[in-house]
Amino acid sequence: MAAAAAEAVSAPPSAGSAGSLGKRKARPKGKGSKSKARKKLARSDQDDSVHRRRNKPSAKFLKLLRKRAQDYNSDDDEEYGEQEEEDRPPRPRRRDDGDEEEEALSHSDKDEDEEVEGASTSAVTRFEEGCRAFRVAFLKIMAKKLPDDPLGPILSAHKKLVAAKLAEEVEERKPKGEARKEKRVAAEKGHVIPKDHLDSKEKELIKVATKGVVRLFNAVSKAQKPRKDLNPSRTKDAKVLAKERKNTFLSELDMPSHQEIKSQAPSNFSKRTGKDEDEDEPAWAPLRDTYMLGSKLKDWDKMKDSTAASEQAKVHIGESSGEK
Amino acid sequence: MRHPRSGPGAGKRRGRGPRIPATTLRKQQAALANVDQITGAKIPKSFVFSRGKLPSTLRHLQHDLRKVMLPYTALNLKEKKRNNLKDFVNVAGPLGVTHFLILSSPKSLPHLRFANSPQGPTFTFQIEEYALAADIANSQKRPRCPPGIFKNSPLVVLSGFSGLGNPFESLVEYFQHMVPAVDPSTVKLAECQRILLLKFDKEKEVIDFRHYSIKLQPVGVSRRIRKLMQNNQVPDLRDLKDVSDYVTKAGYGSESEVDDEAATVSLPSDVDKLNQASRKSAVRLQEIGPRITMRLVKVEAGLCSGDVLYPWPVEKEAGGKKGNVTEEEIEGQEETDDGLEDESEDEMEE
Repeated sequence: MAAAAAEAVSAPPSAGSAGSLGKRKARPKGKGSKSKARKKLARSDQDDSVHRRRNKPSAKFLKLLRKRAQDYNSDDDEEYGEQEEEDRPPRPRRRDDGDEEEEALSHSDKDEDEEVEGASTSAVTRFEEGCRAFRVAFLKIMAKKLPDDPLGPILSAHKKLVAAKLAEEVEERKPKGEARKEKRVAAEKGHVIPKDHLDSKEKELIKVATKGVVRLFNAVSKAQKPRKDLNPSRTKDAKVLAKERKNTFLSELDMPSHQEIKSQAPSNFSKRTGKDEDEDEPAWAPLRDTYMLGSKLKDWDKMKDSTAASEQAKVHIGESSGEK
Repeated sequence: MRHPRSGPGAGKRRGRGPRIPATTLRKQQAALANVDQITGAKIPKSFVFSRGKLPSTLRHLQHDLRKVMLPYTALNLKEKKRNNLKDFVNVAGPLGVTHFLILSSPKSLPHLRFANSPQGPTFTFQIEEYALAADIANSQKRPRCPPGIFKNSPLVVLSGFSGLGNPFESLVEYFQHMVPAVDPSTVKLAECQRILLLKFDKEKEVIDFRHYSIKLQPVGVSRRIRKLMQNNQVPDLRDLKDVSDYVTKAGYGSESEVDDEAATVSLPSDVDKLNQASRKSAVRLQEIGPRITMRLVKVEAGLCSGDVLYPWPVEKEAGGKKGNVTEEEIEGQEETDDGLEDESEDEMEE
């Protein structure tokens, strides 16, 4: 590449130099006719081409060429020194054929001028050496075994920075995380996730609940089953039916019949049980005669007694029934 | 000639008598909604809400409690931080809400308060253990919670409360009145689909709160036939030579069928296709809803204020556990409505 560049750069100067050489040679000779000068020119061209192979250009000229190539390459300054040295060994060899020089080169063509070859030699050599140096450095890097660092192959100073930052972050997170954990534990206080459904305690509870439901359902069925012997539309039977219903229900529920409490709160229940309408007590509340009559405020003075009585009754029943 | 009353306004009356203005009509309907049609007693309605910030599991518990109290509660009740107790009391009046269930978590111990509005007693419980409805559903093999069961109030079953004296007596009253009364002569068994069990454990002095769904299963019918009737699908009779093989094949009974002897009822009417009148059916309960173990810590005469009735006050006044005393409530007597307990009672004591 450098050789080609050098070639390109030095091609015009070579032509120029050849021309100038020819002119130089032509001038001392060609004082006469022009034809002779022309002939001489023509001959000088030929001679030039021969000359080029035979005669080395002047040192001054070579230096100029080299300088131009160097500027073009624009590498380190020491190349200049190298070039000086290179100038000297090619100089004694200048008398020889260009072939020897060509042998020293690897990239140049044989048709190239010596100047070109001289200039490109140094450039190519520099390139070649640069390539070699790069190759060596690259192989060295690839051969290096990296430590297994999570941060990656980075420069050491930056590594320290990153490590410090990470350590900081971890430290910050620790107390925060602990605080959060504590909060969560406190929030879940008392929350018990049932491991096994239906362990013995739960079975007991279900049995208790089932018993309650069964009692209610039995009471309901007794209350709702149509009684065939009594005709509901008859007044007397209606009374009997109602009484029976209430009693059976209350006995099912193990509650004291309101007959006991009746004495204390006669107003409410006498009205309820002593109704004697033509039809059975209407299901809809407002149709009943006792609707809103047994209001809470009516018997407020008697209410206390009745509540006390009922409570006593309940307690009594509770004790008598015991734990079922 | 046009009839004078055939205009668009009178077209809907259809012979109902003189026209009632809309406002009055609305008021009548609102009043009717509060009253149980059958027994004539007021239907108890409840609010379930929380005071203070609750962690997420307690918020789930609050939602589960609302589902327990359905249908007479506000399922999607929204409360703001700035609402205090007075706001709830004010809102409760016109809506006919009588019971408050208040969840709170002072010092990260969950508490549940049952209170009567507006001047009723307040029972404060500390929740020792709880399990959410979702946890229970996860622990069951076949969770069963059809949404239709929340259309009716649950039945309340109290157990173990006998002979305890105050304050548990008033507590019993409270629980009985928390749900509308059940009239055995008119109630439809199909409507009794849930049960709320409150059992008092005498050794530990805690109350177990459980919530079950009721399922009626016909007794004496083999599993196959029952499944056949439930699924309504034609069974696979490829391998059988005769239908009787299918019908009479002895199947193994499930482990819980042993208990059915005690759980058998005779139905008065048709509950559904499977459970016919005058047939024996077994009552099977399956747990839904939250599971709470709670201990009574305080009883106050007012709504979160007033005299402290339990634990028995020492000489100095026992300060409230939560500083949410909004106003000095009138120290009314405890509302004891049990003077009028008649047959419309669904409480069962053991």
